[in-house]
Formats: sequence, C-alpha cells, structure tokens
Amino acid sequence: MLKVSGLSVAYGGLQALAGVSLEVAEGEFVAIVGPNGAGKSTLMKAVAGGVSLAAGSIEYRGQDIGGLPSHARARLGIAHVPEGRKVFPSLTVLENLEMGSYRPAARRRRADGLDTVFGLFPVLRERRDQLAGSLSGGEQQMLALGRGLMAQPDLLLLDEPSQGLGPRIVEGIFEAIAAIRKSHRVTILLVEQRVVEALELCDRGYVLETGRVVLGGDRETLLADPRVQHAYLGT
Amino acid sequence: MPLGDLVQYVVTGLLVGGVYALMSIGLALIFGVMKVVNFAQGDFMMLGMYLTYFLAVGYGVDPLLGALLTIPPFFVLGLLVHRTLLVRVTGGGNPQRLMDAQLILTLGLSLIITNATTMILTPMPRGIQTAYATQAFAVGPILMNQARSYAFLMALVLAGLVYVFLTRTDVGKALRAAADEPEAAGYQGIDVRAMHGLAFGVGIALVAAAGGLLATYHPIEPTVAVNFIVLMFVAVVLGGLGSIPGAFAGGLVIGLVQSLTLLVLPFQLQNAGVFIAFLLVLYLRPQGLFGQRLRAV
Amino acid sequence: MAAVPASRLRGLAPIGLVVLLGLVLTFALGERYHHRVLTLVFVWATMGLSWNIISGYAGQTSFGHQAFFGVGAYVTVLLIVGFRLTPWLGLMVGTVAAVVAAALIGFPTFRLAGIYFALATLAYPLILRIFMDFLGYQEVAIPMVRDRPALYMQFTDPRAYDLLALAALAGTLLLSHWIETSRLGYALRALKENEQAAEASGVDTFRAKMIALMLSAAPAAVIGAIYAHAILYVVTPDAVFGVLVIVQTLVVCLVGGVGTKWGPVLGAAIMVPMSETLDATIGDRLPGIQGVVYGAALVLVMLFAPEGIYWRLRALLPARRAAPAGAAAATEGPIAADLAGRAPVVRGATLMDVRGVSKAFLGLHALEEVSFTVRAGEILGVIGPNGAGKTTLFNVLNGFLSPDQGEVRYRDARITGLRPSAICRSGVGRTFQVVRSFPQMTVLENVMVGAFVHETTPHRARQRALAALASVGLEARADVVPSGLTTPDLRLMELARCLATAPDLILLDEPLAGLARDGVETVMALVRRVRDGGVTVVIIEHTMYAVVQLVDRLVVLDHGRRVAEGLPGEVVRDPAVIEAYLGKRWLRHVEGLRT
Repeated sequence: MLKVSGLSVAYGGLQALAGVSLEVAEGEFVAIVGPNGAGKSTLMKAVAGGVSLAAGSIEYRGQDIGGLPSHARARLGIAHVPEGRKVFPSLTVLENLEMGSYRPAARRRRADGLDTVFGLFPVLRERRDQLAGSLSGGEQQMLALGRGLMAQPDLLLLDEPSQGLGPRIVEGIFEAIAAIRKSHRVTILLVEQRVVEALELCDRGYVLETGRVVLGGDRETLLADPRVQHAYLGT
Repeated sequence: MPLGDLVQYVVTGLLVGGVYALMSIGLALIFGVMKVVNFAQGDFMMLGMYLTYFLAVGYGVDPLLGALLTIPPFFVLGLLVHRTLLVRVTGGGNPQRLMDAQLILTLGLSLIITNATTMILTPMPRGIQTAYATQAFAVGPILMNQARSYAFLMALVLAGLVYVFLTRTDVGKALRAAADEPEAAGYQGIDVRAMHGLAFGVGIALVAAAGGLLATYHPIEPTVAVNFIVLMFVAVVLGGLGSIPGAFAGGLVIGLVQSLTLLVLPFQLQNAGVFIAFLLVLYLRPQGLFGQRLRAV
Repeated sequence: MAAVPASRLRGLAPIGLVVLLGLVLTFALGERYHHRVLTLVFVWATMGLSWNIISGYAGQTSFGHQAFFGVGAYVTVLLIVGFRLTPWLGLMVGTVAAVVAAALIGFPTFRLAGIYFALATLAYPLILRIFMDFLGYQEVAIPMVRDRPALYMQFTDPRAYDLLALAALAGTLLLSHWIETSRLGYALRALKENEQAAEASGVDTFRAKMIALMLSAAPAAVIGAIYAHAILYVVTPDAVFGVLVIVQTLVVCLVGGVGTKWGPVLGAAIMVPMSETLDATIGDRLPGIQGVVYGAALVLVMLFAPEGIYWRLRALLPARRAAPAGAAAATEGPIAADLAGRAPVVRGATLMDVRGVSKAFLGLHALEEVSFTVRAGEILGVIGPNGAGKTTLFNVLNGFLSPDQGEVRYRDARITGLRPSAICRSGVGRTFQVVRSFPQMTVLENVMVGAFVHETTPHRARQRALAALASVGLEARADVVPSGLTTPDLRLMELARCLATAPDLILLDEPLAGLARDGVETVMALVRRVRDGGVTVVIIEHTMYAVVQLVDRLVVLDHGRRVAEGLPGEVVRDPAVIEAYLGKRWLRHVEGLRT
C-alpha cells in the first residue's frame, strides 16, 4: 500500500533522513521505533506531505505522491496525527472533529465517525463544546486521534502519541490504538519512542537511527534483538 | 455635564464605530488566516466608496443597496490580487523578511491604487445625496443621524453573517482551522492556499462594503484611505491581532473613543487619543484588550 | 594608538569617488531645474542611508522614520521663526532633539517584536503630525532674511544647496562606513540574522538597537532641515511627516539594496531623476504619477528582485575563490582556556550551582525543583527523553528564560535575571540544538561576533576568531558562508563562535544531533580537548552511547524532574532511567528475556 524508497530529507542544514526505504502492506500495522533525533517524525511528515523531499520516492497504492501537497494526500485517504498533537486550539472539540472529516469522502459519514470517536473517548463527548486549547495534554491527544479517525482513513499515521504524557494516560492511549486496530480495517504506521508498547501492538517494525533504517523485522524478532536497546542506551 | 449629552456622544460614537467594526473585521480575517497586514485595505475601501457612488449617480442605486452590490466584484478582485501578488510573499522563508516583503508589497499596492484613482477620477471630493443623510431619528432627547443608523444596522447584519459563516459552515471552520494550525489543516485535506485566497477575497469584499456604507455620509476622495487604514490597524490591535470578534469590538471602541475624546480635547486631537491608546495597548497588552494568550510564546 | 588597518581605509576611496562625482555634477549642471533634481538625489540618498542604519543593518524595519526627518525640519525652522536662530545652529538643536526622540521611541518600542514593532513605528509620525496641526503649525514659512542670507541658509545660487546636501550625504556615507566596519556593525548584522544567537554570543541586542536608532535619527534630522531650506520653503506636517517621505525613503533603499551603504545611493540615483522627470513632463496632466511609479517600484522590487540592484549586481561578479574544501585536519592537544581576566577556579570546585529551579508554561511543568551542581573541569551530561525539559533548563541557565522559582549561581554570584549577553560575557557560552548561524555572514564573521566580547577592533577580533577556528580545525573554511558547510562543520563553527567568547563554562545543546558516526567522533574528540584545556562542559545529548563514553557525570531529567545523578556507568543501569527512556514495560520485558 505504501512504499518508501531511498527517501532523504534535509532541513535547517541538517540531514534528517538519509536513504530510508520501507513498505507497509494493506491492513498491516507497522511500527517505527528509535531514539530521539533518529528522524522518525520527519519520516512521518514526509509521508503526509509536511516536508519536501531531497531525494527518493513515496508510492501510495501505486501512485507516486511525493510531489503532492498535504491536503491532496489527505484526500486520498491518508490521515496524519502529528507529533505534538496540533489540535486547532481556538476551535471547539466538536469543530476539531468535524475538520477531521473535511474531505468529501468522510464528510458523508460524519455522524458515524462521531459515534465511533465518542464511543472510544467518552470524555470528548462531555467536552464537545469546549475550546480544544483548554484541554489537558491527554485529552488533546485523544482529540488528535479522534480527528484522524474522523477522516475514515485507509492509512493512519500516528506520530509519537505518547509524547509528554503521564504513564497512566499513555496506557489509555495505547489501549485506544489497540481498539482502533481491532474495530477498523485501517492500515497503521506508528512512530514511537516507547519500544515495547509499540512493538507489542504491531505486526512488523523498523528501528531508525540517525536517519537510517538499521533494523527491520517482525514483532518477535525485534523484541528479542539486543540491538534495539543498544540503539537507545548504547549498552 | 448633563447625562443626556454623554448618552448622545456614546450613541454617536457607537453608530460610527459600527462601520469601523465592519472594516476592521476584513483586515482581521486577512491577518488571522494569512498573517499578512494589508496596507492596501483602506484603498479597497475607497474603491468600494467609488463603486457605490457611480452606482448611485449612474443608475440611481440607493447607496445602502450599492454597498451590498460591491461585495461580489470585490470578492473576485481579492481572489485575483491574492493569486497574482500575495501568493508570492506568503509561504516559506524567514518570517521577518517575509513580513517585510508583505508590508512593502501591500504599501506599494496602496500607493498605486490611491494615485491611479487620483489620475483617473481627479482629486475632487464627491458625495452621494440621499434624503436620509440629513435627517435624524429622535429617541427622546437623543438624535441619531438616519444615514449613520442605517449604515450601522447594515454593518451589524453583515458582521453577523460573517460570524455565522465562520462558525456554522464547514468552509468557515476550515478557514479558522487554517488560521490556527496551517500544517495540521493540510493534514485534514484543507487546501491552505485556497483558504488564503478565500480570506483575502472575503476581507476585501467586507471592507469595500463598509466603504459603500461610509459613502452614505462621508465625502469620497482618492486619499480617503489614509484616514481609515490606521484606524483599522488600531481596531485590530485593540481586539487582539487576528481575532474577528475582537476587531469588531475594537471598531466600536474606536468610534466611542473618537466621540468621547471630543468631550475633553479639542477637535484636532480627536485621533491623537486613538493613537496613544493604540501605543499603550501595544506596550502593555499586545494580545489585545479582550484576548488572552492560549499558548506561551 | 593602533594604526587603522588598511582595509578600513580602502573602503573610503569609493566614498571619495562618489563625492567627487557629486561635485562634478554640481558644477557641470546648468539649469536650475537640474540642480533641484541633483539636490533631491542627495537628500533621498541621505535619508535612505539613515533608514538603512536601523532597518538595513539592524533589520528593524521602520515605517515611521520620517518622524526624525520632520523633527529636524520643524525644530530648525521654528527656531528661526521664534528666535531668529541661525539654522546652522538650529540644525544641531534639531539633531539633538531627533536623537532624544529616538531614545524615547526606542525604549518602549524595541520591547516589541515582529509585526507589533512595525505597527508601533507607524504611530509616531502620525501623532507628531496631529500635534503640529494642533499647535497651529500647519504651514510654517521660512522667513526671508535679506541682509545676511548665508547665515540663514538662504542662497540664490542653487549649487549651494547641492553642496549642502552633498556634504550631508558624505557625512552619512562615512557614518555608514564606520558602522559597517566596526564592532557595532557586526553586532547589528548578527542580531538582524538571528537575534537569539547574537544575544547568546554576547551581543546586548537591546543596547545595539538603541544605539543604531539614535545614530540613524541624526542624519535624518540634518537632511530634514536642509530639505526644508532647499526645497520646501514652507514646512507642513504632510510634507515632512507624511506617507510620501517614508515611501521615497523605502523606494530608494529597496530598489538599490538594503544593508549596504551603496544601496540607497544607487536607488536614489536611479529613482529620483526618473520620477522627477515624469512629474515634470506629464505630472500636470496626470497628478499622482509619482505615487504610481513609487508604488509600482515597490511592488516590482518585492516580486522580482527583493534583494535590490546592488546585491543583484554583486552576485554577477565572479565569486571570490573559496579556500580548498574538505574536512579539516583534526588538530591534537588541549584547547587552552582563556580566562580573560577572571580568577581561576580550582578543579572540582563548584562552578555553577542550580538551586531548585522550576519553570511552567501555562500550567505545564517544564522544570520542577531541579537542583545540581557543575564542578570546574568536568564534562557533565544532561540526558532524558524528549520533552524532559533539557533545553528549557539550558534556556534558564543562559538567561533566555527566567525561572518561576529557584536561582542559578555561577562563580558564587546570582546570574538569574541577567540578560543572556551579560551571562555570556561573564563566561558562560552556549550552542543550540539546531545550529543558529548568521547565514549572510562568512564563517569567520560568525565567529568574530563572539570574539567581540573581549575585543573592540575588528582587526583584533579577526585574530581571535581565526585562533578559535584553528582550534576546531575549520580555518580553511573561514571565508565561506554557513550554507556551504556540512552538518559537522556547522557544529564546529558554532563551537568556535562559543569558544571565541572566552568562556569557562560551555553549554552544548545536542551537539551530536544529525551527525553520522565519524562526525560524532570528531565533535566528541573536540569536546574532550576543550575540557582538557580547562573549560567546563555541560552537554545535552540523546545518543546515549556517545554520552556514556564522553561525560564524567550524568544528570537525568524526566518530565521536568531530576530522576538520577551520578557516574555514567551506574546511571544507565538505573531502572528509573531505563524506564524514562524505554518505558516501564521494557524493564519487565528485559527481565523476561533474562529468565
């Protein structure tokens, strides 16, 4: 479904990605783990259209999307839940969710989408008329996830959903991701620092280090590989 | 001073402030979505005054209706100006240099419009004669100029429509989303560049309509923009840069300040009060009188 | 006294040529009208140069610079009207008044950034204009003085006004030249390109901007007074505070090129004769043609040549041959610390003491009660996952942020509350997570900005900067601009800039980010050499494997709290640390693998 080949991105004079290649098949759940500064978020932005490519290509369902702007990619069914949540702070919770279903294909199924999201995160229903900027970090993350689901996406990109959240909230977020995975037939590409949580959820994973894929394999292989810890701690 | 006089000044100020408010929300919408301060906003207002004038003189269209008729052509004009000029100075790059480029570009545009209008239509001031310009409604001892009252009501209605558009329609919400977090808006399928064009078109149409309303009681001349563009800046800063309800309130406040200044200061210093208030707000409450900062830095 | 370096004198020759050309034109032209145009060219070139000081060199784009022009004109003329004071003296009073006005305006306005600054500058001439109207100075005619015309700047020979304006232009060119080649000029260019990096490199940006504004007000006032006598005869608020004054200023600068003394001169030489000719030929039939031309010039310049003619032409010249590229040879041995007059601190004694520092952003606790000490001569690592508060901590240490609670002491003195530039000058240097260079300055000039902390002349600063570049092995790249450097070389340049400030403590924010393994080795070796020379190092790093090899001690942050401190070998085995990095479940997972 998604095929990234030889992808390089540079910005601010720094080479963030250097020749990354990976594939995600229809219906798969793929995780990308690696320490900070490895280029994980840049990779996600590159797929979603948030940064321009220095080299390489991105194919989505056989179409080269490397040159498309982000809104055109969203309309093809790619939903990106960005790092740092990036909810619309001066819009209400409900309006944020409505914007998730802005693309015509999702707009028609808005009511269904809202039911699903409110079922998954009841707190969002309670706060539907509150400004998103006044939510707590965990609630904003739920909103960002919900907004991504509202797009009725075929490919869901999740960028560091646990970042900056307390341990209990993180657990809730991962449970929600597991539930999404179970109830929706959506392909997921997840970027996470928290290795086990990410790897346990996924079918396959990649380890990214200083802009390069250093390891790839299925869940069991990666969980048992000592090089994963080495990438983080050097021990 | 008798209370009646004070009420009269307040009412007069609010009536004028309503039209300022409508002008200012156009500027605020453009700034909110595009982060562009449009120096040429006053000149589009001036063009709106002239269009209303020629509709009135040439075709006998009542200026209150004429003001509404300016909306479609100026919306299209705004889209064109955005597409041909502003797209080239919005988007990526060093924010400070980009801002300078935008300010200078729109300043240049403003000069071209003012002076080309002078060349074509001569500097001679013109006015629209209407029956209601010289009559007043009397509410008890308070007198309300009819032209200003109608203009105030229409400004209120137009501002209300903008508010409904921004809060009740998907496109309006998308405009606000693009203003809040352009990057994330793109990820939702919102074409941010198209939203910029829409904001510019609507912003220009609103200020042109406000010009049409102003034309019912204010002389029309090519240099009229200078007197109003700064008032619009002040209103928008008072309301918190980019906030639309804030700009509306800011416009009303300016009308009030102008009117009440006359109670204590001579006529020539009417706008000095406005500008000093502007500087104080910039120094002390850059987020505006009513705004609060949602996020740090 | 030190001799003025030859390079500085060499820059004076073109100024002499321009003045000579001006003199030739003054005496060659015959028609009165041509002299008027020539005077106007000098006037707008001077006004453009004046604007260029604050908006070009310092990058603080002002839309209200005509305030000073008008103050000069009004003060001079009102002194003649009121006291029969000769304008030769009145002009000086006007200049002083404008400089005072600049100080009064700058003090509140430089606290504003970006669009707020630009909008505030709009208001000043408007307010002055309203008050001039109010005071009844709508039209102030210069009284004719028939007995001693020269004493009252009233000449019948138009060449006299050419010479007067040319003298102002020459003086302003010299002032601009001095700024370009002085410590102030480097400070202004640096703060224009990256204010935070300038401040962190020891530039007191507020002071530099104030000086620039006050310096720029003086020529504006002088030329305003001359303009009143040479052209106006009747001073009105609109003629000296009006929009057209700032517009003509902007046009000559933007067309010619901003940030160089030649831009406004070129721009005035092209634009003024053109618009005057248009005005003289078709201005009667088409009033406003001048405004259209100026407006079109602004629009076209912004669309097609935003850098202006001067920079366009310069880019056409063959580029200076760059020094041979390639990775610089790594040098050996410690990089000796420069105490720059500070007392030495015993190795191992407390150099910096962080006491209970807390910082919150809108309820989010970025730092909570963080305390630790930095000992002289060590490399201390600060690690922690993303969002742990590491960069916020550095921003508190170097003065970008002031903590909500707690304090930072350095050499037994409180530094909390000082400006970052003052903290830098006291010996605490820093680098940034994403390198903050001054992109339009060469590598050498980037480093010179730091060197000016302890040097006053460019010559000495250059020597110091070259020494710093040599110590990191980058002297071969001294003359390229930062965009021509590789990522590791950029890191080295930033480190050299920091070392040039003669620090005894440096804060390195992720110096290894984005580097491949060999780059990591280079930078790590350098950090060790810096420490061996006697400079204490605090380093933020994510790449743990590098950090454990490099540092003497580690402090671990998680969610804004210090969760561990100690020797690197122990800290990486601390369960709290592993949890912070990899999550609680990883711990359980690892235990599962072991059994």
